[in-house]
Parts: sequence; structure tokens; C-alpha cells
Amino acid sequence: MKELAGRVLVRWETLLVAAIVAVGIWSVTLSPFFLRRANLLDLVTPYVYIGLMAFGLTFVVIAGEIDISVASILAASIVSFAQIFAHGVSVWPAALIGLAIAGGLGLVNGLLVGVLNLPSLAVTLGTMAAYSGLAFVILSGEGVATFPTSFTKYGGGYLANNELPIALLVMLGFALGLGILLHRTRFGRYVYTIGSNREAARLSGIPVTRVRVTVFVISGLMAGIAGLVYVGYFGSARADAAQLSLLDIVTAVVLGGVGIFGGTGSMPGVLLALILVAEVRNGMQLANLSGQLQNIVIGVLLLAAIVVGNLIAAARTGSRPAKLRRLRKGVTASAPAEAKVLVDSNP
Amino acid sequence: MIAHVRAMKPQELAAAAFRLREIGIVLALFAVIVFFSFRADNFLQASNWQDIAQNVSIVIVVAVGETMVVLTRNIDLSVGSIVGLCAYLVAASLAHHPGMPIVFAALISVAAGLGLGLVNGLLVAVGRIPAIIATLATLAIYRGIDAEITGGKNITAYQLPDRFLSLAASKPLGFPALAWIAVAVAVVGAATLRFVPWARDFYAIGSNPDAARFAGIPAGRRIITAFALSGALAGLGGFLFASRFPTLDSAAANGFELTVITAVVIGGVNVFGGSGTILGVVLGAVLVATISDGFTLMRLDEFWKIFFNGFAIVAAVTIDALVTRRLQEALRRRRAALLVAQPARSEA
Repeated sequence: MKELAGRVLVRWETLLVAAIVAVGIWSVTLSPFFLRRANLLDLVTPYVYIGLMAFGLTFVVIAGEIDISVASILAASIVSFAQIFAHGVSVWPAALIGLAIAGGLGLVNGLLVGVLNLPSLAVTLGTMAAYSGLAFVILSGEGVATFPTSFTKYGGGYLANNELPIALLVMLGFALGLGILLHRTRFGRYVYTIGSNREAARLSGIPVTRVRVTVFVISGLMAGIAGLVYVGYFGSARADAAQLSLLDIVTAVVLGGVGIFGGTGSMPGVLLALILVAEVRNGMQLANLSGQLQNIVIGVLLLAAIVVGNLIAAARTGSRPAKLRRLRKGVTASAPAEAKVLVDSNP
Repeated sequence: MIAHVRAMKPQELAAAAFRLREIGIVLALFAVIVFFSFRADNFLQASNWQDIAQNVSIVIVVAVGETMVVLTRNIDLSVGSIVGLCAYLVAASLAHHPGMPIVFAALISVAAGLGLGLVNGLLVAVGRIPAIIATLATLAIYRGIDAEITGGKNITAYQLPDRFLSLAASKPLGFPALAWIAVAVAVVGAATLRFVPWARDFYAIGSNPDAARFAGIPAGRRIITAFALSGALAGLGGFLFASRFPTLDSAAANGFELTVITAVVIGGVNVFGGSGTILGVVLGAVLVATISDGFTLMRLDEFWKIFFNGFAIVAAVTIDALVTRRLQEALRRRRAALLVAQPARSEA
């Protein structure tokens, strides 16, 4: 019993819930309106598009890769959608084409990483710039902002007495669906296995290349869906959309307990982390902190999440003295993680 | 040609691959110059070459530091923010203390950059945070500090002493001062990577971190050194940036890391660490800066440059991987041939 309690206590998700409660208490001291039902329900709405991209990125990171091009995919996808819409195509078919373009850009990442075996960091750093440039080429200068409300309600509309944001339901729906895909299907298990040990996964007959390409397509498609919600929430599509959201996306994934070296992490964790990020940003706005000061805090949060995660991992394995000795010597990452990097570089 | 390749030792083969890369960049540079001299007005004028020389100098200074980090199989995404923050520190110090010696302002900038780089190194080596995540966070944090210091205001050239403003325009021995500094940094950087033992360790760590550790190399300390050097050189880059673009706000050098990383990757530094030369990086920086300048003269929008940088990174990484694979295959085949020739020794 005591052991069970201990296990629940050191679970990452439990820590996140505790943090959410703590930040909530801080927010209440800043504004008595914080605890109103309407405010609580609306807290996450401005960050739904970030959450949707984080859900997609989760698959990539668990598979042991990284995709820093997601925000650029969002921008390229929504400006294509907006241009097609502005040229007279009705909104839903145009949105579908935008979504297909997002999936296609994700597929390009996936083919470069999965088939050509290139490092995802360098590839997506390059495509991040290339896709962002592409977005400006497609729609430079002014944005498009004439979308019908039958479409924009999915990003900025409300149900139930104007209190329940539709975007929140969209996000929870995707969290559930992608959570099932990740935790309850064969494909999901493949993603974890590849992230833990790609060589072992290949030797045990898992279609490694196909799964690695697929996670990047998922990431691209989720950026496309995030783009549709983004257009709905802000009511306009511009090439510089979501340009600064990468920090929040990566923070949500890492803070959600997804191991940066692949193989571990959970969808509920990422959802909780997104709520925490939204709550922290909301609280800082209540406290009147500037946007740049907020970014500093989120950046520190990202770093702290990894350091705390490392310390918990060290405590769990019980090899703390050895770890500390190695820290003092200034050794970098833990041994299994580096062994994996070695495998990566010599396929 | 193939017979020639077969006759070479592995080291010679690798060296040949590097030479091929450097020749390739020179050829690309030549093609780009021919193209722009026809298509872009004023491209061949002397004043334009000075513009290119000044821009490329800043890129080279920062790219030498980035090279050290990438050689250790890490990456530093925060250099753009360090350049911006240090440039503002230089301008602000000179604006508030017009009598301050310029060398002193440069030292402040380098010291600030060194400190920020040290933070990156500690996060990666001691905090065990992957470099991509650690420097993505510090990119935002350093830019945030920059914005807090500037407080939304900017410093204009009018507030700065003339001695400082004339630095970028001055031409000792007929060559822009910034270019002299860049050449000095590149030469010292190349010599360090070639001859200094702790800098040789960067290659060892990047090639095989575990083997490096077993060989007794203090990998953590070396990685901290690489990040600190990258920060210090980004600080120096910030000083040069302030002298070249003396009107500064909190968005100065935003996205500069992309240009630097493009130069490093085009220059043939392997993104998995372990191989690359300063000569290649300098050539890569010249190529990137020339193309960027040509785009400006052709009045193409800024985002075409961003698109080109991104495309160039992907293309360079793809070519690198294919060449490396060919090289490894050639070496493996030769080793197999040797084993067949001497079966007894292979079993022993």
C-alpha cells in the first residue's frame, strides 16, 4: 500500500496536477475572477492550436526524433488554405486541401528522416526555414480574414450558454483519439519500441521506416488541424502565424514527461502540461508581465522540467552516488541515451 | 579515378572528400557570382564587395564558434540572441559612456557572450539537457533579457561616438577592418582545431562520445569549453554587429542563428559531429553572404533568403549523408578485400 502511494506520488502526471493546483492558487490571489466557471473553461482556448501541435510532436519525440518545423507547417498550410479560399473555393474543401498540404510537408520531413536516414534535427531546422519562407511566398504582406462563422466557430465559437469553447472539445477529442492510437494500438507500441531501441525494433520485424515516416506525417497533419483551429480563433490567416509558438509546443511535450531521447511519455501527460503552460501564461498576464518576460519564464520551465526529470530518473535507478560522481566529472548524458545516439549515427 | 581511390589510404580518402567539398563550394561560388553579375544591378561594384565582406565577417566570427559546438555533436541555436543582446550592450555602454575605450566595449561584449555560452554549456554537460532543447530555451530567454534591457526603446547611430561608427567603415591596408578581425578569428580558430590538444578532443567526442570517454577525455568539460567559445565569439560578433548596424532594438540579429548554421552545414561540418574544417566554414559563409547580397540587389523579399537558407541546410545534409555512406562503403569493401587476402590473420 505504502509502495503504491509512493509510486503514485513520484508519477510525473501527479507532479503536473500538483503544479496546476499550485499555479491555480497563485492565480486566485492575482484575480478573484480566476475561479469562475467561464474563465476556467476558457483558460486553454488561446493555446488549443499549440496543444494540437504538441500532440503530433509527441509521436515524433517518443519515436526518438524531433520536429521543429511544425509551426512553419501550420503557417504554410493556412496561407495555402486562405489563398484557395480567397480564389472562390468554398471553405471546407479549401480547408481539406490545406490539411493535405500540411500532411504533405510532414511527409517530406518523414521521407528525409525515415528513408534517407538523415538527422531529424538538421532536416527540420532546414524545413522550418524553408516552409516558413514558402508561407511568405504564397501569401506575403496582408492576411485573409473573410472566413464564415460556420467555419471559425471550431476555433473561436462557444456552446452551452456561451461558456463552453468548441475548440476545447476539439482538443479533448484529439487528445483522446491520439491517446488511444498511442497507448492502445500496435502502431503506438511500435512507436515506443523504435524510440527505445531502433536496431532491436528492426530486428524484431517492426516496419521501422514506415512507422518513422508516419510519425512525421501525423505531426504535419496535426499542425494542419492546429492551423484550422488557429484560423478559427484569430479569424485570419497570415504567413507569420504561430511563428513564436515553438517554445510553448516543445515545453508542453517535454514538461508532459515525454523523454527527449525517445521511448517514454504519455498523451495525458502532454495534455496536463499544456493546461499548465496555459495557466502559467494566463497568470503572468494577470500579473501584467510583458510577453518577453513570459517567454523567459516558459524557457526556464522547459529547462527545469528536464533537470527535474533527470534527477527523478537518477533517484529511481538508485545509482545516485555514481551519477553524482559522473556529474562532478562533467560527463554529459546518461549512458543508455548516448548508446542510442550511437546507433542512430551508424545505421 | 576508381583505381586511384582504391590506392588511397583511409585518411587520404577522407581528406580527398573534404577537398572535394571545398572545391565544390568554390565552384558554386563562382557560378553564383556569374549569375548575379548578369542578373543583379551593381553586383560587381567595389562598394558592393565591401558590403559583402563586412556582412560575411560577422557570420564567419560567429560560425567559427558554432563549428566547435557542432564538432562535439551538439548545436547552439542561441547565437542569434547572444549577438543581439551583446550588440545592444555594446551600443548602450558606448551611448552612456562616450569616453569609454572601444577595446573595453569589445571586452564587455565578449565577456557577456562567454557568460551566456557558459550557461549553455553547463545546461548541456551538467544539466544533461540535449543541446537542441537547452539552446532553444536560452534562445528565448536571452532574447527576453534583451527585450527587458531595451524596454522597447532603441539606440540610434546619433547616440554613439564617431570613433566607434568609423570602425566598420575603416580600411586598414585597403581591407575592411571587420574582415581583418574575421580572418584573424578564422586563422586562430583553424590553428586551434588543428594543433591544440583540447580542441582535438572536440573531434574525438563528436566521432564517438563513448570511445572518447573511455580514452580518458573529460567530455563534459570539453563540451562546456565549446559552448563557452561559441558564446564568446557570438559576443565578438555582437560587437561587430553593433559597429556595422548601429541602430539597435531588441529584435537585432533575430534569426541570425539560421544564417550561421547554414554556413556551418554548407561548409561541410558534419551535423553528427566529428568532422569539418574552418576553411570549409569560411567558404560556406562567403557563399551564403554572397547569395543573400545578390537576393537583396535583385530586390527579392527577405523571406526568399530564409527559404534559401532552409533549403540549403536540407540539401547539404542530404549530400553529406550520401557521400559519407559511399565513403564508408568503400572503406568497408576494402577492409573485406584485405580480410579475404589474409584469412589467417583475420581469424587470429
